Amino acid sequence: MAQEEKPADPEVLPGQAAQPRPDAGTTPTGIAGLDFVLEGGLPRGQPTLMRGGPGTGKTAIALTFLCRGLARGEPGVLVTFDEGPEALIRHAESLGFPLGEHIDAGQARVLDMRPSRADLVAGEIVELTAVLARLGHALDQLDAHLLVIDAIDGMEESFDAQTGLRAELTRVFDWIRERDATTVITSGEQTDFSRRYGLEEYIADCVILLSQEIEHRRMTRLLRILKRRGGGHGTNEFPFLLDEEGIFIAPVTGTRLEGGAPTDRHSTGVSGLDAMMGGAGPYRGSALMLSGQSGTGKTTFAAAFADAACRAGDQVLYLSFEEATKEILRNQRAAGIDLLEHLAEEGGSGRLIFHPLLAVQLGWEAHLLRVMRSVQTSQPDIVILDPASALADRHSVQYGKEMLLRLFYMLKREGVTAFATELLPDYSDGMSTMDVSSIVDTWIKLRRDERGGQLHRLLNVVKARGLPTSERIQEFYIRKDGIHVQEGP
Amino acid sequence: MADNYVLHLYIAGRTPAAERAIENLKELLKEASGEAAAYELKVIDILENPQLAEDQRILATPVVIKQLPPPVRRVVGDLSEQEKVLVGLDLKGDAP
Repeated sequence: MAQEEKPADPEVLPGQAAQPRPDAGTTPTGIAGLDFVLEGGLPRGQPTLMRGGPGTGKTAIALTFLCRGLARGEPGVLVTFDEGPEALIRHAESLGFPLGEHIDAGQARVLDMRPSRADLVAGEIVELTAVLARLGHALDQLDAHLLVIDAIDGMEESFDAQTGLRAELTRVFDWIRERDATTVITSGEQTDFSRRYGLEEYIADCVILLSQEIEHRRMTRLLRILKRRGGGHGTNEFPFLLDEEGIFIAPVTGTRLEGGAPTDRHSTGVSGLDAMMGGAGPYRGSALMLSGQSGTGKTTFAAAFADAACRAGDQVLYLSFEEATKEILRNQRAAGIDLLEHLAEEGGSGRLIFHPLLAVQLGWEAHLLRVMRSVQTSQPDIVILDPASALADRHSVQYGKEMLLRLFYMLKREGVTAFATELLPDYSDGMSTMDVSSIVDTWIKLRRDERGGQLHRLLNVVKARGLPTSERIQEFYIRKDGIHVQEGP
Repeated sequence: MADNYVLHLYIAGRTPAAERAIENLKELLKEASGEAAAYELKVIDILENPQLAEDQRILATPVVIKQLPPPVRRVVGDLSEQEKVLVGLDLKGDAP
């Protein structure tokens, strides 16, 4: 049999061999936004350092990385230098990951490397070979290539005053590379551990910094990629959420086709209002804002729109910033709009999802992220923000505007129709404080008129891009069977 | 009969530190308890049996663990500081 000729190996220049190959690949963290920022994930088979003060979310992200890997069927090992194994398993379970079950199934293992305070040191030489032997043993037994080392700075307690620790740590990191284990190592900030031992400068291949920012007593979590060997990375700080629903980081990739200008239109659910715009409501994928003072019926318009859209077969996500779901349902039933039949939890079609976002402790970034996450999770055709002005509190009207811009941009990119209401203060004289008219395609204004001992509600279409628009200011009534716009002059 | 000491010395390969620890430990056991004392010293290489390192939660080597008599005591290092080792293992003054 003829011997096959092997193609010659591409020439490797001296000094290049040690460089990680650019195509060495990535291992996903399982957190969509983070994988996007990292252009695929963590460097495969390499150590990544995650640094941050207490409570910044290091351990939560590391556990998510491990548990998402386990969920993909990849075994993994968790090493702890600080918290007890039970506490870490509980932590993972609070994030919704059945880490305990994976351990019972022999898919995962927790190595308890907390320093024993009873240990006495007598003599100079201390080697970390035992740490590596235990790690290697666990990785071998599970055939694992995922590794999380939590709170490596806790190691210092056992090896205090050991001048050799830096060299030993270098050995640990080199060993990780040889083992081809994609590793997340977390380290606290307070002891300055990572800087003193040079973890960042030359030991870790990827460094992620976590921090918290507090403004107006509201906390925003931030993540930044400080270093990424053999790969590009964004240099920005990215705000992220960490709560009972896990970790969410923007940006998130758009899953739908970008651009395009759909020509089909929704109904506003109010025939008289449709008539003012040439017989139908806003274009699919456009942004509509409805501004009005308190008591003008904004939420009723929003509910009518939601009802009509659900009847037309669209999926609607209703984000309520001020009222609880039950209040909206009750109040709108009085106006003849029964949303119950669209709610899955009431045995309805499930086309309508209510998501109250009432938490006032959140910073505006976190608030925006929660809205984005809701959109990502439920993939609606229409998002209703009621009232969107709640996003702009009195401290930060500018933020509110920027936030709405970003949100509308995101919704547009995803092809989602936005229907936002804006509460105008009584002193505003009908002027929008959000000043967002440039970003909405359709703007409808509601007002109260209290002349002649009677309350009149008035409505006009300020603008509607690409639609025939009535110039009239028309009166409308809210009755037991819905909203009626008075026809004719 | 004298107390029966049971000591386990964990090493990670036959490193110079490991060799020194073995020598130092044998030396001081002799001095502390006299020729007549009964002790059992077992040297365990964790590279050959990493599960034992896991079971004993060993981080650094060499480490000597006094299993008997209670209480269990552990001393880390090459054991070159005799006084510290004796105190640490609670061997001092227990000689018959």
